[in-house]
Amino acid sequence: MAYTTFNRNINDQLKEPMFFGNAVNVSRYDQQKYPIFEKLIEKQLSFFWRPEEIDVSKDRIDFQQLPEHEKHIFISNLKYQTLLDSVQGRSPNVALLPIVSIPELETWIETWAFSETIHSRSYTHIIRNISAEPHKIFDDIMLNERILERAVDVTRYYDDLIDGINLYQRCGEGTHQINGKTEQITLRELKKRLYLCLMSVNVLEAIRFYVSFACSFAFAERELMEGNAKIIRLIARDEALHLTGTQHMLNILASGDDDPEMAEIAKECEEESYAIFMRAAEQEKDWAAYLFKDGSMIGLNKDILCQYVEFITNSRMQAVGLKPRFATTQNPIPWINTWLVSDNVQVAPQESEISSYLVGQIDNEVDTADFGDFDL
Amino acid sequence: MPQVRINGEVVVNFDGSSPNLLQFLEQQQQTVNYQCREGFCGACRCKLLSGQVSYLQEPLAFVRRGEFLPCCSIPKTDIELEIPK
Repeated sequence: MAYTTFNRNINDQLKEPMFFGNAVNVSRYDQQKYPIFEKLIEKQLSFFWRPEEIDVSKDRIDFQQLPEHEKHIFISNLKYQTLLDSVQGRSPNVALLPIVSIPELETWIETWAFSETIHSRSYTHIIRNISAEPHKIFDDIMLNERILERAVDVTRYYDDLIDGINLYQRCGEGTHQINGKTEQITLRELKKRLYLCLMSVNVLEAIRFYVSFACSFAFAERELMEGNAKIIRLIARDEALHLTGTQHMLNILASGDDDPEMAEIAKECEEESYAIFMRAAEQEKDWAAYLFKDGSMIGLNKDILCQYVEFITNSRMQAVGLKPRFATTQNPIPWINTWLVSDNVQVAPQESEISSYLVGQIDNEVDTADFGDFDL
Repeated sequence: MPQVRINGEVVVNFDGSSPNLLQFLEQQQQTVNYQCREGFCGACRCKLLSGQVSYLQEPLAFVRRGEFLPCCSIPKTDIELEIPK
């Protein structure tokens, strides 16, 4: 079943499973199997923002005055986030679009990935502003062992899925000789790779970003790097929505209502799902140790951040039907929530630095005096 | 005025002074996890043991049977809820 960009089969899209059914032909939303995905699209569109709208000029002065160990914390987090969003800006499209079978989900995937590309551009916006040599920071991403270590886990489930889809769509199920190598693929194996990939993406958006977020907001609590915090707050709001998207996909798959075989696969993958969560939590704790290797920052240290990783991992596991595995039940940094409230992003437009105020700012008040210096 | 039983212990009247159940719980000094407060992140998920809530806006977050989001709901009848630990 080779992929086609316009499937000529006349099918009832309402009877298609989310993935591995007929490829989508007409992008129509008059009928929807899962209306939630269109609601997510609408919400995401309502969140639209551009990095250039946020004034980060004061951050340059703040950054220059940071002690070296805090510069390390700040820059390292940006590098890591740049990696994560590089992956997220392309991979949902490459991996999921060739196998998706319902239009509202297809469009959600595209909308989701698009918003990640805005995040990527915002990192350049921030880094260009604080450094006269942004290339040094970007070049280091591909050389930094600590980042590359984690990149392996972030990308391998995507790569396994993409590799399997390529083989399946070219050759179909079975054992094939490809370039002198024997390769085997079944639809069931592909479904398993899909489930694990979604679980790993869920973990990426649920946990991996949050160590960075916490540091950015901790700086801003001290009224430092506030432009950055404003951008991170918009990114965090987007990520919370993406997370809801993958949680819906995972939970619909696990329920078996969409594809009964998927419910079996979800059960089979339970242990590996736990392992994906626990591995990510451990890696993020190691990252916290790396961030604070030369010293902590006010309001945040390695231990607090590790507890936060445990807390948030527990809560994300429960959201996809897994049992919490860590003893931590209290949020060790409750102040972070005020930075994550969606409402606060829009509130107090009279504060000139609030980003939403700068979006589409049009003054509708026109007075005759305004035409005073007009000459025809 | 619907009554709200929290974690099998406290019973309080929902007198309408809070716009939603999350704020109501916070006013009762209960610690509830939260993030967006708009129904799309699901962080404030609680168990609804009995009774019904009505949503002020339909939540976007995934809500299992027997769960509800206090950030965008008010009690419709007397309810019994449990805040996850």
